[in-house]
Amino acid sequence: MTLYRLHHTTVYDYTEAAVVLGTHFLHLLPRERPGQTVLAARLDISPIPDSRRDEVDHFGNLTTTVSITGAHREFRVVMSATVELSQPALPSATPPWEEIAARSLNDVDLVEFCLPSALATPDGEIAAYAAGSFPPGRPIREALLDLNGRLHADMTYEPGATGSSTTASQAFAGRRGVCQDYAHLMLACLRALGLPARYVSGYLRTQPPPGQDKLRGADQSHAWISAWAGPEAGWIDLDPTNRLLVRDEHVTLAWGRDFHDVSPLRGIIVGGGSHTVRVQVDLDPLLLPL
Amino acid sequence: MAAVRQLGPEELARRATALNRLTDLAGPSGDAPRSIYDPLPVLLTASEFLGLEAAIRQRARLLGLVLEDLYGPQGLLRRGEIPPALVLGQSRFLRGLHTSAPLAAPRLSLYAADLIRTPDNQFRLLRDHAGAISGLGHALSLRRLAAGTLPEIFPAGGLRSLRPAREMLVDHLYREAGGRLVAVLSASTASRSSPEAIDEALLARSLGLLLIEPGDLATRNGGLLMKTLSGLLPIATLIRGISGIDLDPLEQGGRSARGVPGAFGALRAGVLTMWNAPGTALVEAAELLPFLDRLCEPLLGEGPLLLRATEEDRALASQAPFVDNQVIASAPIGFRLFAWNDGEEWRVLPGGLGLPLEAPGPEGPSLGLKDVWVLESEEDFYIVGPPPVEPPELGPFLAAAHLPSRLADNLFWLGRSVERLEAACRLLMLALPRLESGTSLPRDIAERTLLIHCLARAKLLSPDMAGSTVSGRLLRQSLARGQLIGGLVKEVGRLVNVSSERLSPSMLATVRFALRQAADSLPNEETALPMLLSFAATFAGIAAENMSRDGGWLFLEMGRRLERGEAMAESLAILFDAPPERLEPGMALSIELADSVLSYDLRHAGILSPGPVLSMVLADLFNPRSLAFQCAALRACLEGLGADDDAETVHQLQREVTNLVGVASGLGEPLQEAAARLRLLSDRMHRRFFALLPEAHSLEESEVRDPAP
Repeated sequence: MTLYRLHHTTVYDYTEAAVVLGTHFLHLLPRERPGQTVLAARLDISPIPDSRRDEVDHFGNLTTTVSITGAHREFRVVMSATVELSQPALPSATPPWEEIAARSLNDVDLVEFCLPSALATPDGEIAAYAAGSFPPGRPIREALLDLNGRLHADMTYEPGATGSSTTASQAFAGRRGVCQDYAHLMLACLRALGLPARYVSGYLRTQPPPGQDKLRGADQSHAWISAWAGPEAGWIDLDPTNRLLVRDEHVTLAWGRDFHDVSPLRGIIVGGGSHTVRVQVDLDPLLLPL
Repeated sequence: MAAVRQLGPEELARRATALNRLTDLAGPSGDAPRSIYDPLPVLLTASEFLGLEAAIRQRARLLGLVLEDLYGPQGLLRRGEIPPALVLGQSRFLRGLHTSAPLAAPRLSLYAADLIRTPDNQFRLLRDHAGAISGLGHALSLRRLAAGTLPEIFPAGGLRSLRPAREMLVDHLYREAGGRLVAVLSASTASRSSPEAIDEALLARSLGLLLIEPGDLATRNGGLLMKTLSGLLPIATLIRGISGIDLDPLEQGGRSARGVPGAFGALRAGVLTMWNAPGTALVEAAELLPFLDRLCEPLLGEGPLLLRATEEDRALASQAPFVDNQVIASAPIGFRLFAWNDGEEWRVLPGGLGLPLEAPGPEGPSLGLKDVWVLESEEDFYIVGPPPVEPPELGPFLAAAHLPSRLADNLFWLGRSVERLEAACRLLMLALPRLESGTSLPRDIAERTLLIHCLARAKLLSPDMAGSTVSGRLLRQSLARGQLIGGLVKEVGRLVNVSSERLSPSMLATVRFALRQAADSLPNEETALPMLLSFAATFAGIAAENMSRDGGWLFLEMGRRLERGEAMAESLAILFDAPPERLEPGMALSIELADSVLSYDLRHAGILSPGPVLSMVLADLFNPRSLAFQCAALRACLEGLGADDDAETVHQLQREVTNLVGVASGLGEPLQEAAARLRLLSDRMHRRFFALLPEAHSLEESEVRDPAP
């Protein structure tokens, strides 16, 4: 069991002209899941919004809608949370993948994660690639780990090669991208086989290079996937960008069919010229008194 | 039918044309598609309607329950009564409105069913309408329009009136709104030639609601507000004319200008109601239909009263006579009946639309929509309308205050552009013969020089030609090249269209007719100029006589007065910019330009002298073309809108202009100054009334930026 303290600061600087009205829709409060307990979480927003509404969305994520009236040159959102992660017990045996696919289509909680979504729709090439990890009868866990490893090996991590609206097909065609693209591609692979899998946004603890101190704010938002492995094993989280089976170093924020469903911060503003965005994330384990 | 036979096909075709011309006028667009309506109604007997009423109420209740479940607990999916993939895989299923508690109002509040009649006189369901409902505006307006064009066929009695039902609907909408605004939300009122857009405009008009577009709305404090002249006013209910998909760019992404950011949040929070809530079109999906039909028994405890039409039913659908180009042709007909949920029960409109079922080919004339007549039975019970509600206490300028800023802006510019067109024509009529004459008398030369400067000021000549000799031919060539007059006419036409919802049908008809006539004569300037002047006079006359003096008229009037004042001040600055001994040519032209020759001659025996001339064109409050008159008129408008500080500014200007009468020379500069102050006032008015909020735009989404692996 590990306790984490999490800080995620997003700052929009409207240096050119003041924004007179801003409405924002945020997916920035961490949700609970098996293995993750949120002990405390808060969002501090400045300027102080005229209205704020905290809701739970279709997927069970926590959303916040705020509106700010009055000229402002900076919009700042600070999320602070204390989260407890426990290492999920790894399932020893999981059913063959075909069994999962057959069951999921009629399950209201799974079906939408089997279906194509805007950013994670399989195409012929993706389907053919995915099939390589899913020979008949292979247990789902084994197949997932194999696909996770292949994606990691076949894709090149390259920031800037893609954007927030790059689809799985586009990322696969270029064989490069960032965590969001790795996740969308893996989702498309699984959906090609009719397997339920969801996009997870969150944070990953990073280790400083050996012998160096960790830099403040150096952590970043992250994305990975969660795949259904049957009623016994439940959802298994895999991080294809890092070829990891998610254990206790990934803090989950929200999940959906793809990035569109969980975009951390959307906004419609009136006024303002060009703007810059600064993001700073710190995810630190807390030392517990024994 | 006897009445129809008596009329004969030719007369009937003429009446049909007349009816559709009315649509053109009642509808908002100048180029509405022709033949929207067919003048012959289609009949339902009292007992037929009674059966249909029950069936439609049942269907609407069923769809309403299904929608509440699919957007709520999803028991139907969990129990497998509808395969989950059919719903969750639909793009019409809007996750943003899947809520744990019901919304403030039923998600399905308006419903329409398309039906056909089979040979055994049964009705079958062709199609459900549960999203943005189209046709209700036509259904509520068609009878009124047809009554005027085909009075012979209307029976003296025995026909169910739509009025009580419509009044109940309006009353319900207003009661639920609790003093806030109710409006029809249309995709864009700027391009309005589509039948849907006309339908929305007619709906707004027949229910007495505002017609607005996404750009008129703003989100503040979690609620939805309309930008009006008096600031932002809260909206309670929107009758939705646009698709729910991409309606809320804040939550769904997409371009902010096309939708209403924050609409979903306002709906979830219960501060906004939509008829229908976004996402209700889900139950129109063909894949769901077989499952919906089976749900009647489990959800309502009764068998379906309305069966779905089979292919065979469609092939054998009953026919009705249509007026088609001087012949009466039979074609299969469908019935669209409308219902709304008043919070307690579903009410069905005792009327509707008859729809020609066969889609006409692209070449052939299209058959029109018909009115549905519901006949009264012998022992009919009437829908009794609600007791008359006292109209709410209105503020003194509420009509002005409720005017959407967009409309005020359009009317203002309409006023300006009509005036600009008139001034250009007047100046050209003055200039063309003089420039053509080419005499070398010093006075004529002086006049020509002044006119060339005035033409350049009005942008009828390019500035580099202002210093040279310009012949009449050169002026014509320059005009033809620049197509300035044609451009102005087009602009006036555009502004008439976008302002049409505040112009009465007869005013629209007259204005459009006059504009069309003027535009037709355009390529030939000689004939076009008087025609255009006559158009401007028609416009001014009808605006003065037909428009009520509330918000809309005030803005039209201010646009005119500002434009006239500014142009007058600038032209007079040119004409009077001479020493006293050489003022005469300018004075003569100024009197002509101000269309005041007759008045001047009558008052001063035609003897030009600076005092009387200046008095007439600058200070005379009885001369509608004097500068002081424009100031006084502007002041009255501004006071009417409560803009007292601007009214005072213009009053001050009026005093200063009046004082110029005694000034013997050097009038150029103070008159330029007056024009500049009117321009400043125009800018101020823009900021004050129109530019409440600039357009919103989306913030770039924060991207996921992960640690290097």
